[in-house]
Amino acid sequence: MKTRLAAALVMLLAWPSWGGSSFDISAFRGPRMSELYYVVIRDTDAQLLAMETGKLDVLSDIYRPADVEKLAGSDKVEMSLASSFHGFFITFNVRKFPWDRAELRTAASMAMDRRRWTRDLFSGYAEPMTSFLPAVSPYCEPPEPRPQGVDAARRLLAEAGWTWNTKGALVSPEGREVPKTRVFCPPSSVAATTTEIAWMAADALSAIGAPAEAEPMDFQTMLARVDARDFDACTNAWGMSRDPDVLYSFYHSSMDVEGGYNLSGIADPELDAALLELRNAPDEASARTAAGRAQSLLAALMPVIPVYSRYSISAVRSDWDGIFATDRVTSDNLWTLLSMTPRGAGEADRPIYWNIPEEIRSLNPFVSSTTYDWTVLGTIYDSLISVNPYTFEDIPWLAESWSIDMGERGSVLTFTLREGLLWQDGRPLTAEDVRFSILYVKDAKIPRFYDSVRDVSEIEIIPPRTVRVFMSNTSYWHLHNIGGMIILPKHVLEKVEDWRTWQPARAPHADVDGLEITELVGSGPFVFRESRTGEYVRMTRNKHYMLEVGR
Amino acid sequence: MKEFTRRLCGSVAVLAVVLALNFVLFRVMPGDPLTGVMDPKFSPEAKRQLAAQWGLDKPMGEQFVLYVREMLSFRFGLSMMTGRPVWEEISSRVPNTVALLLPTLVLSAAIGIWLGVKAAVRRGSFTERLVLWGGALSFSFPSFFLQLVFLMCFAYAWPVFPLRGTTSIPPPAGEMASLIDYLWHLALPMTSLVLLSFGGWALYVRNMMVKALGEDYVLTARSRGLPERRIVWNHAFRSILPPVLTILLLSLPGVVSGAVMTETVFSLNGAGRFLLEAVNSHDYPSAGAAFFLLALITVLCNLAADALYNIV
Repeated sequence: MKTRLAAALVMLLAWPSWGGSSFDISAFRGPRMSELYYVVIRDTDAQLLAMETGKLDVLSDIYRPADVEKLAGSDKVEMSLASSFHGFFITFNVRKFPWDRAELRTAASMAMDRRRWTRDLFSGYAEPMTSFLPAVSPYCEPPEPRPQGVDAARRLLAEAGWTWNTKGALVSPEGREVPKTRVFCPPSSVAATTTEIAWMAADALSAIGAPAEAEPMDFQTMLARVDARDFDACTNAWGMSRDPDVLYSFYHSSMDVEGGYNLSGIADPELDAALLELRNAPDEASARTAAGRAQSLLAALMPVIPVYSRYSISAVRSDWDGIFATDRVTSDNLWTLLSMTPRGAGEADRPIYWNIPEEIRSLNPFVSSTTYDWTVLGTIYDSLISVNPYTFEDIPWLAESWSIDMGERGSVLTFTLREGLLWQDGRPLTAEDVRFSILYVKDAKIPRFYDSVRDVSEIEIIPPRTVRVFMSNTSYWHLHNIGGMIILPKHVLEKVEDWRTWQPARAPHADVDGLEITELVGSGPFVFRESRTGEYVRMTRNKHYMLEVGR
Repeated sequence: MKEFTRRLCGSVAVLAVVLALNFVLFRVMPGDPLTGVMDPKFSPEAKRQLAAQWGLDKPMGEQFVLYVREMLSFRFGLSMMTGRPVWEEISSRVPNTVALLLPTLVLSAAIGIWLGVKAAVRRGSFTERLVLWGGALSFSFPSFFLQLVFLMCFAYAWPVFPLRGTTSIPPPAGEMASLIDYLWHLALPMTSLVLLSFGGWALYVRNMMVKALGEDYVLTARSRGLPERRIVWNHAFRSILPPVLTILLLSLPGVVSGAVMTETVFSLNGAGRFLLEAVNSHDYPSAGAAFFLLALITVLCNLAADALYNIV
């Protein structure tokens, strides 16, 4: 079955016309299907049954190895697998003895056999992490490999002056016996593999003489204690993004504050300097250099131990053509949504059934926070730039071109919109909409977008289609923060009384194609039609879409 | 009347305590709504903005006054999870839960009571052994397992029932077709729940009836030559009716609070999962409102049970 999955992956990688770094979005014209349903099926086993019976066409986030193999064995389903931005770490509290010692943290890392853990726990459907960013990140630079194993770890400690007493417990060079370390983790009923890894980590620490045990506890209790910095070591999993500036949040000393994400408490002037350089990098090349430097310093300091990164695995019914996947993007993506058509000549138009495992909580883009809310919103709203699914480089989207320059006070981003863009209600999408959207979220201090727009100082429109965004400081990441933000129509936004209570999916807006549409109007490939809480969300093809067939 | 007034005052006091505890307990529990925001793209400053958005930056006293005002006016405020009014969230889910669990309760109680009485009347017979074994099995069977087996059998291998939800996609046109579609979707979860819950009733009623049938007044009734059916239902069963009614009425809050596992397996949009998610995400207004309403229903059912005691 694994061979079958590998074969499916190879087949998808070899997709003829779209591949490579010269990814051409004009090769896509769609959407081709007129109706899309996001269907809520919560239970994992029910999802598999629905895939096999054709009640679902697309299933994402398949994480149990047994499910992967079951689906891979079915001739009704095609699987895709890709590296992901997920990262799992063991974090040490470096504020206190003994984890304030870098050589002990390094030895702990050497003693942990991530390769075996990954193989045993995930049947190979995860990859061991070699650096502080997932391998799929364009900025991942693994350090020089160190010798691995308990013996090598003990040798390193011995060379650094650590000894073992008669009980076999580790003693620091100044004679302090290493106390017991408690590795916090959620209970196995919530996250079985995480608890197992915590125990394996505790065993590895004990093997080098640092007594340890896993301490499973209620997840919220664990978060609260870690937030209060009341822990020895803990397990953490993060969903990261293509930008490495997340390293600043995790490891810069200024982020070791209430609500900050420097959980380990690492504070190193050299690392701080590299992370600041990364955060304020004026261009991609400087960012790459700073990211490499930060990762190399982190490998020496080892405040956390990177353990594994989960593969992203998805399935699509094999009675569809036009499925798109790369080694970095599984088939449950926008490109598939644009190009999928029923297999077989003459097959009639039929709806696409796409699973979401939780109900939609909110379709107000200003307060929506779950992945599933954004799965739906992502087909309604567009941003100025998008991401090459092969290389994760920027590609044109609403903006056909852009540049980032140095102004007097900071970066200046210049975006030129495509010609002839339309909103889903048929009105033109203009540079003024872009300006209004950015200023709206900045003035309202909307938390979700706050960090993206905080440094915007001024926005200028150069007719007919160019927007210049002046930032108050310099950073290459401003391009992704502003370019990746969703753009909303000014004619809808200016009527919103309170963004906190705005319910765009329930407010009637206009009549398009003989159908009432709501204020949930974007420029994306699908138009929102109806949401039945806990049941489904219904969308129809946007005939004004920029990549619509025939436009 | 005096007794009823005394009980009514006691109920109001209980509700006041629940109201206060709902506020305090959720806030002293580990974590808060912000702890759950595990997104490194949210700077500490953005998290402070989020706290302000939810009114968590206000002094605790002010938060309490606002909370009490929202609860007593039955507005309940806005859900932190969805941004919609909590009342709207709850009222959109409770009908599904009640439509599933009320008939389940009535059916399982009716079947269980009938079987329990039959088993008690036919002591030592095959019927009694069957009820005892069946009841124990029903009472102790893990719900998710039976429900998954149901899905496998009746929605996959022999697909006569739907896999998920309370409506077909797309929904059928017309009110009658929608109603039939709705009942068709509830059939599998309801059948599984009845199978899982009739056993408790059967065992309880059987035990009570065995005791009642051994009482002197039953012997007297028999010696007077009354028909067996009348002895069983009018004398023995009537004597166990008060505790049975109490259990039935105290099961009603459960009808509103939902069945989390069933809602998960059959992807039903019910109150149970909403309550669970509200507690897990520290959605103070939703969790507070849900527990307040449950306490209110429990108190009302208690009062109703007291009143019914006097009638039966």
